[in-house]
Amino acid sequence: MATTTATVSISSSDIVPGSPVSISASTTCMKAGLTTGLEKMEMGANTLTTGEGSTSLKLATAAGADGAGKVYLCNKATDNTFYLRLDLHDTIVGRLYAGDWLFIPWSQNDTTNELVIQAINGSCPYEYAIFKEDETRVAGS
Amino acid sequence: MPTLTPTLTLTSTDATSDELSFSVTDSLSVTAPSINLGLLVVDTTGANNIIVPANDNKQTWVFVRHTGTSDGTTTTAAHCDIELTGNVAIGTIKPGEWLWFPHCGNGGSTGVQLQAVGSAVQVEYGYWADSTAQ
Repeated sequence: MATTTATVSISSSDIVPGSPVSISASTTCMKAGLTTGLEKMEMGANTLTTGEGSTSLKLATAAGADGAGKVYLCNKATDNTFYLRLDLHDTIVGRLYAGDWLFIPWSQNDTTNELVIQAINGSCPYEYAIFKEDETRVAGS
Repeated sequence: MPTLTPTLTLTSTDATSDELSFSVTDSLSVTAPSINLGLLVVDTTGANNIIVPANDNKQTWVFVRHTGTSDGTTTTAAHCDIELTGNVAIGTIKPGEWLWFPHCGNGGSTGVQLQAVGSAVQVEYGYWADSTAQ
């Protein structure tokens, strides 16, 4: 088992004058049950063009059903009008503009729960990491 | 516009033989509405726990952390599902876990809701409207 720690800090000095925001949280990425770390890790970087349309970042498969997972995704574009749209199958989740990142849990509750990204307004270089439980092995053909 | 600075650090010394250690920081221009941090006892009905109202084409940044308790004092192992309104599940957080993501209704009039699994969970949460996509 692996121990992977994700720490976030969120800060602002000017949202509410005299009341700065300073949030910090840390977690170890665990399987269901809270005692065993997620052992599979997939990291990568790529560039998505607008012409590619909706593209699967990660398929949800029957082999991975009901497994816990964490997803990191960052849009490395430098033009702030270029954004990556993240969908959960056919439902829009949100937009990552240049430099934006997200860190979410991802549950493959069914095989239509895939993560889909689409570059809007221009090509978006991106990097991602997925931490997840091992999948059910499938016999080779 | 006020600026919000979220930073993520991911580390692991044993996930692979190549040690994992990186950090990424963003700078967000935010506007009203926002909730800098609040507490909520989440019950098992998602529609009762809408933390970001439905919106169209307006982007909101969302932070949620499972406090590990059901009420601020009583420890719980119950999970808390993160859903878009309409019961579209994104994932689940366990005690101590957190998430950070952009939500955009994008014409679908969806919000963000939480749903405890089995029994109540207390979370802390915040959200900030992104001035870039309003």
